[in-house]
Amino acid sequence: MTGTRHGHEPGVGGVGAVVRRHSDPALVTGHATFIDDIESGGTLHLAMVRSPFAHAEIKGVDASAALDLPGVHAVLTGAELVRHAKVQPVGWEHIDNQRAAPTYAMAVGKVRYCGQIVAAVAAESRALAEDAAELVEVDYEPLPVVHSIEDALAPDAPRLVPEWPDNVFGSQTYGNGDADAAFADAEVTVSERLTFGRQFGCPLEPRGAVATWERYTNRIELWINSQSPNRVREVVAEVLGVPVSGVRVRVPGIGGGFGSKANYYGEEILCCLLSRLTGRPVKYIEDRQESFVATSHAREQRIDVAVAATRDGVITALRGHIVGVLGGEISSVGMGPVWLSAVSIPGPYRIPNLELSVTGVLTNRTPYGSYRGWGAPKATFAMERIIERLARELGVDSNEIRRRNFVRPEEMPYSNGVFATLDSGRYEHCLDLCVERLRRDGWYRFREEARAAGRKVGIGVAAFVESTGIGPSRVMARLGIAQGGYDEAVVRMDSTGRVTVFTGQTEMGQGMSTTLAQLCADELNIPVDQITVVMGDTDACPYTGYGTGGSRAAAVGGVAVRQATGELKRQILRVASHQLEVDVADLEIADGLVQVRGLPGYGRTLADVAYAAYRRLTDVGEGTTPTLQGRAVFDPVALTYANGCAGVVVEVDPATGGVTVLGYVMVDDCGTMINPQIVDGQLHGGCAQAIGGALLEDLVYDRNGQLLTTTFMDYLLPTAMEVPPFSTVHVETPAPNTPGGMKGVGEAGTVPGPAAIAAAIDDAVDDPAVFVRHLPVSPEQVYRFCNAAG
Amino acid sequence: MKAAAFRYHRATSLDDALAVMADDDEEVRALAGGQSLVPLMAMRLSRPEVLVDLNGVDALAGVALDGGHLRIGAMTRQRDVERSPLVAEHLPLLRTAIGHIGHVTIRHRGTIGGSVAHADPAAELPAAVVALGAEMVLASTGGTRVVPAEEFFDSYLVTAVEPGELLVEVRFPLGAVPARHGMAEFTRRAGDFAVAGAIVLADVAADLTVRRARVVPMAVDPAPRRSARAEELLVGRALDDGVIREVAAAVAAGCGPVDDIHGSAAYRRDLVAEMTRRALARLRQGAGE
Ligand SMILES: Cc1cc2nc3c(=O)[nH]c(=O)nc-3n(C[C@H](O)[C@H](O)[C@H](O)COP(=O)(O)OP(=O)(O)OC[C@H]3O[C@@H](n4cnc5c(N)ncnc54)[C@H](O)[C@@H]3O)c2cc1C
Repeated sequence: MTGTRHGHEPGVGGVGAVVRRHSDPALVTGHATFIDDIESGGTLHLAMVRSPFAHAEIKGVDASAALDLPGVHAVLTGAELVRHAKVQPVGWEHIDNQRAAPTYAMAVGKVRYCGQIVAAVAAESRALAEDAAELVEVDYEPLPVVHSIEDALAPDAPRLVPEWPDNVFGSQTYGNGDADAAFADAEVTVSERLTFGRQFGCPLEPRGAVATWERYTNRIELWINSQSPNRVREVVAEVLGVPVSGVRVRVPGIGGGFGSKANYYGEEILCCLLSRLTGRPVKYIEDRQESFVATSHAREQRIDVAVAATRDGVITALRGHIVGVLGGEISSVGMGPVWLSAVSIPGPYRIPNLELSVTGVLTNRTPYGSYRGWGAPKATFAMERIIERLARELGVDSNEIRRRNFVRPEEMPYSNGVFATLDSGRYEHCLDLCVERLRRDGWYRFREEARAAGRKVGIGVAAFVESTGIGPSRVMARLGIAQGGYDEAVVRMDSTGRVTVFTGQTEMGQGMSTTLAQLCADELNIPVDQITVVMGDTDACPYTGYGTGGSRAAAVGGVAVRQATGELKRQILRVASHQLEVDVADLEIADGLVQVRGLPGYGRTLADVAYAAYRRLTDVGEGTTPTLQGRAVFDPVALTYANGCAGVVVEVDPATGGVTVLGYVMVDDCGTMINPQIVDGQLHGGCAQAIGGALLEDLVYDRNGQLLTTTFMDYLLPTAMEVPPFSTVHVETPAPNTPGGMKGVGEAGTVPGPAAIAAAIDDAVDDPAVFVRHLPVSPEQVYRFCNAAG
Repeated sequence: MKAAAFRYHRATSLDDALAVMADDDEEVRALAGGQSLVPLMAMRLSRPEVLVDLNGVDALAGVALDGGHLRIGAMTRQRDVERSPLVAEHLPLLRTAIGHIGHVTIRHRGTIGGSVAHADPAAELPAAVVALGAEMVLASTGGTRVVPAEEFFDSYLVTAVEPGELLVEVRFPLGAVPARHGMAEFTRRAGDFAVAGAIVLADVAADLTVRRARVVPMAVDPAPRRSARAEELLVGRALDDGVIREVAAAVAAGCGPVDDIHGSAAYRRDLVAEMTRRALARLRQGAGE
């Protein structure tokens, strides 16, 4: 595919072109640099003493034996920490009655989940640090454990924060129209209680940080595999009481993030502090077992959902009440993902009367934070499940219900009165394409033949929208989010005519450096391989209000790059205009030249223009500033809504409960595609995580608050063997508020899959008594569905 | 996840290895393919003081036909057993069983001796060696002894191997057990340990009458055991669907599964019945022709 439809020349590799990802050669040959590769001489290694109890008073910590071990330099405890560090800030304070539960980088006085850091040991090697960690004696007095929502909400529940009257972190209701009246008058109502299990981003590379607190400059250099280096910088400065300019955050290659590395954590604070206390660089690499208890958990919710409808299947009202199972401490995103689930339930549908509520409860579990998809997979699960329920009640095909209720393109922008303003999209068209593709791939015929042969094969469909391109800074501020939603970019041409893009976005395997280069190439009409993208250094790269997350890198960061490139282009043309004595309006960049329109070949090479701008200023007009550099800040005016539809084919083995995903169609409208191959890759990865979320991945706690799933033998990620070939279908409805039309595609794959898989299992089992209400659904549960009492 | 400190000894011969194993003052462990031991050490669940690496002892690896036995050295890689023509000819079950272990990369490193000595009740090789009536050859500085597979596995990760001893060889008597086999297992993902499984061996006459049978359920007992009741039900009867159902039910009734996060005991019982049924159905395919 060439990008000529976008105006640039074939071969440039601009918007719409399949360009191989710049990051791949180093990755596939094993030469990429990850956090664990960062190590300067004299580095000390941290090992954490983590609580074996879910809830306990810390009576005392005796580190003397650990400190006696040769090679151990320091042991930091909570009691010491509070003398040097403030509480960890919560970035999201958007619930009206949200309470404060001061959380420090490590436990202070009390532990509230298994795996919480009680002491940090710095030693000459990680193995030695682990030896010493075993010698730290902690005197715990166990407290009663709050295990579940029911435990947390019980009137006599033990309280995690004794100063609070209960375990509710925050609770809020959002409404539009009159849901009570609509339910009272409804011809049909259906309701369900659904639950979604606890899961997490689980990147293959766990988290890590290397900090050096420079003794003489009093500056901190912090290497960290974070998705949000600018946020980490501000948090470190705030918690440790140093100026932001005193912290340089650097990001090496990231081995996957999936949102879990967008949160900020205590470990990086401990690295900085221990570097100051020891005078050495200090490195912490989370190991695999720690990652299960120490990296933010996500997803777990209880969802009560109901709709009122006419007998024709027109939905008149929706109620959705979500309780999020937060952990024992509040993560950097507060209860943001739970809130987003609640307000996102209406999805792509036109529902006049809404009553949505969200409650976050503390339990003795690992803190709850970000994971790819944020609120959207559960919101979609809730809405699409209740549509299936309504379809059964009415005896109508669920796709027919979807069609009757979709917001139509001509109704957009459509505000649902609660949160979303659906900006653009052709929802019914996406559904049609999904069904059509399932048909063309032969799945409907396959299902009929398989059923005739006695096999249980089912097809499930789910439509979705997802708020992307987060986000308008003023909206975020109104929501109580302590970050902007804009992005800054700088684009510079050097004296040889090559271009460097500087961005606050990060590359974590999603190909961001390539897509940003493509946007720049498109604007300048120069080959993409002449562009270098520099990222991951807060001293050298521009600011981003939020970082890489919320499907915003292209839709916000990309626009900033494009606009900065536009400014650079104006400067290039101005210099060339002086050189050629031709009006700027008559110049264009093509074939490596700045040339006169209509006179191909008549002009100056970009290299010559660049040389003049830096090194031969006699060629440049009197009033022109030397150098060539554009800078832009882009703040979107509104969120945009990626959307689409998934269609999944499964086979259920009734004798074992095993579920095999046979086919998977993903229709996605991410607005303008910058690089269709990268879009496909993002969707494939997201769909794989949807399969994991629906069938495999489950963080299981026992009643004592012990996490039972702390290895890959227990926490089951989908592997290549569990993932079918995907059929992706693209719809490009440009985002009206994004210059360039991008909506974002980073998360979409994770969103509709769980709901579609649930519907496919129902369809396969084909029993009116069976309805999937909980994900992930285990083989044992599916077995019970197929072998109900009898 | 860094192992506790240990001393490392790369053995150059069996005698050298046994000499180090004989140290009674310290906890000594053999390192074979490391596919189970190394993660356990990294989690500090296993903390040997001395590690004797057997990977340099060539004499412990190899498959050989010797009179009435097929002898497989403890250090023979699972992948080499799987691809051995001798195994294909004489012990096709072993090949089927190993095909279920993890993934090819793991089988390239993991050894037959390591899997058997590790004695995970959900593992394929322990169940297979019980089904095949194998003999475990154990050596120490004091000499050599032979333990029948059925007496080798005590309980979860516990075997008859005494401190100071190494498993040097697994010896399979040929012709002593039935020739036909069937195997089935249910896993959460491809290559995982079994949630439940079954191995069956039987000699079946032209009229499908079972002459001899050995039935070993997997992952439903603390150690692999033959199901005597199931075998009784098979012998002398024609292998029809009714008998298969009866046998499957007997296996389920006779085993002692426990709950874990991948399934309750009750579910595992149902699964092992289904796996037994499938294993017998596979065994019957082509029988009696
Ligand atoms: C991802 C993954 C998936 C796996 N899936 C499966 C599976 O599906 N099914 C399955 O059965 N296994 C599976 N395994 C385990 C694998 O089969 C191991 O190879 C096996 O359990 C141990 O063999 P090893 O040679 O690696 O032994 P090691 O790990 O080196 O040793 C295991 C234990 O046996 C002892 N030992 C080893 N050799 C001797 C000897 N000669 N004498 C006395 N003691 C000895 C060791 O001291 C240690 O205690 C999997 C492993 C991995 C990493």
